[in-house]
Amino acid sequence: MKRLGKASAAAGLAAALALTGCSGQKLEGGDKGGSGTITLKVAFWGDMGLDKLKAEYEAAHPNVKIVLNSGEYNAQHEDLQKKLVAGSGAPDISAIDEGFIVQFRSQADKFVNLMDKGGAEYQSKYLPWKWQESMSPDGKQIGLGTDVGGLAMCYRSDLFKKAGLPTDRDAVSKLWPDWDSFINVGKQYVAKTGKKFVDSGTNMFNPVLAQQPVGFFDTSDKLQMDGGPKVAFDVSMKAIDAGLSANLASFQPNWDQGFKKDQFAVLACPAWMIGHIQDTAPDQKGKWDIASIPGGGGNWGGSWWTIPAQGKNIDAAVDFVKWMVAPEQQIEVFKTVGNLPSQPDLYKDPAVLDYKKEFMSNAPTGQIFAATAANLKPQYLGKKAGPTRVAVEDVITQVQQGKLKSADAWAVAVKEAEKAANS
Amino acid sequence: MSLTQLRPSPHHEAPPVEPSRTRLWLYRFDIRAIPYVFIAPFFLLFAIFGLFPIVYNAVVSLRTWRLDEPDKDGWAGFANFTKLLHDSDFWNALYNTFGIFLLSTVPQLLLALIVANLLNRKLRAQTWWRIGILLPYLTPVVASTLVFSVFFARDNGMANWFLSLVGFGQDHPLDWRAEKWSSWIAIATMVNWKWIGYNALLYLSAMQAIPKDVYEAAAVDGAGPWRQLWRITVPMIQPVVVFTVILSTIGGLQLFNEPMMFDENPQSATGGSAHQFQTIAQLIYKVGWKDLNLGYAAAMSWALFLIILIVAGINAGLTKRIGGDR
Repeated sequence: MKRLGKASAAAGLAAALALTGCSGQKLEGGDKGGSGTITLKVAFWGDMGLDKLKAEYEAAHPNVKIVLNSGEYNAQHEDLQKKLVAGSGAPDISAIDEGFIVQFRSQADKFVNLMDKGGAEYQSKYLPWKWQESMSPDGKQIGLGTDVGGLAMCYRSDLFKKAGLPTDRDAVSKLWPDWDSFINVGKQYVAKTGKKFVDSGTNMFNPVLAQQPVGFFDTSDKLQMDGGPKVAFDVSMKAIDAGLSANLASFQPNWDQGFKKDQFAVLACPAWMIGHIQDTAPDQKGKWDIASIPGGGGNWGGSWWTIPAQGKNIDAAVDFVKWMVAPEQQIEVFKTVGNLPSQPDLYKDPAVLDYKKEFMSNAPTGQIFAATAANLKPQYLGKKAGPTRVAVEDVITQVQQGKLKSADAWAVAVKEAEKAANS
Repeated sequence: MSLTQLRPSPHHEAPPVEPSRTRLWLYRFDIRAIPYVFIAPFFLLFAIFGLFPIVYNAVVSLRTWRLDEPDKDGWAGFANFTKLLHDSDFWNALYNTFGIFLLSTVPQLLLALIVANLLNRKLRAQTWWRIGILLPYLTPVVASTLVFSVFFARDNGMANWFLSLVGFGQDHPLDWRAEKWSSWIAIATMVNWKWIGYNALLYLSAMQAIPKDVYEAAAVDGAGPWRQLWRITVPMIQPVVVFTVILSTIGGLQLFNEPMMFDENPQSATGGSAHQFQTIAQLIYKVGWKDLNLGYAAAMSWALFLIILIVAGINAGLTKRIGGDR
């Protein structure tokens, strides 16, 4: 699952930047400056709230100079991958998103194993699944978590009102304790308004899959489609068959227009999605609200700070990363850009507890997203989870495009998943 | 005999012999070696940025190199190539690439020929027209493709709006990305739009070198404009036609940007929900950077390289026939 930074627009634009070569400036390996100062280059995307932290850290450590390099989401990850292959040129510290963590986790040798750098004491501070996702199968920890997305259900209270549904966020949450009741609410909405309810079947498949005890792969990296994936696939097929889906691919121009043309009334949304809604449909202020996600737990996106092993100032980089994930700084980042910390202790901090988002009808977003992130049970993501997910999502899209009947789709999904798992 | 008497005596001749030998050597060096020295930078750069990657790619294609399984590195022999032969994704991508290639190259060059023929007449604001047709070529491909992908959108797209004007797809708007034929047409349209003007200008410059009296003679013999185009113009600009055919073959078979950005989910590089429009270049990118299988991706690149060589050769041969021998 991808996590687009708040500032980043459609994925089309993302590809545009990649193709035009705007992959962030070139980075030389962090080398010691003339006057004995250490330069640390930090690569990330969007705005991770580091500008103020950089100044603070440099003031406290006069011998350290921090260079921030913010680029485009996909380009930064691909750039890191290329530099790792080349063996030089990687930043001293690189952010890695959930959508890419498995890929880099399986190259753990190319990163500093934080277990050797006193990382073990951090395990108890993190959400268990967050800690596990960045850990290689042989027990190397390549990164310390910074933020998580959480996952809630954003809904249009004005459209709900027109459809005769409750609009209060607690009442709406009670409407859908599980996904079946969610689909029933959708049927009511569609019958009443003649409009579609959800944006796409894939945005139902992914949250349901994340709530299952086992995902695409078991811990021995064997594909198993009959458990979690089957459950999630059936939910998405049910929704498509009931005519709930507007069949819009996320982050595409059509999808953005869908916001403005009221083509869907609910949207599975992580914390960072609010920024996207706000940018896409600024005139819908106060028309959106947030209810809990059916099934209780969820997450979409979130990142880690990692340290490529090829760097020259590893110890200084480790110190800086540990400082960045310390509670004060994590709260500071939450206040600046709204990135939700991945350490559950911080969810009790008043800054998170009392935070209300004006655009979303003053919903207490800090509390809501923290609860969904804390409720999520850890799930092992296999080495091939990324390509397998894309393959199954494509099959769901085929059903939405009318190329495939929903009754035949599961067999195709299994076949495609097997192909992706063996690719 | 008087001439020999005018020569200086050997005694005086001796000292300048040395410099003249040097000069002779310099002269020879100038004639024989300097051209190579002047052309050398190109070949040096080509060796570094052209030849080395090709050779290195060949080496990689014979190895197992997976980024997600670093332990498995090693020689693989021709395993990657054997896998290629049985990979339905590869054949599907090859089919797509050729389909889009035919849909783009053939109309593209024909239309370019006709446009060039029109521009070759006396027109008002001639320069304006000639620069105008080059504008699509000057537009960055990413920018134009983004616009086209909105143009071919399912809901509220302009292409579907035009179709609805003629009474097609009002209830169920055409999902351009869903089927092979529609996605191919959409992508070929983008390619054609971009390259027609460029090729037309190439043809135009060649056409202007054709002597006018040939046309006059043909006109006297009763040949109409269409016949003149095919019997005089095309044969006489044949070298340029061969050049454009080879260039568009290379470009068409390496098609990447357009299908990539036309995709609903560009990051996955799958070329549609069922790989309807995944081209080989796109598949290579997916295998290398999404599936993280660099060895296999290198084998695919080499296969593509060979395919392009063969197809460009065939096309050049065919085009030469079209021109003169009939």
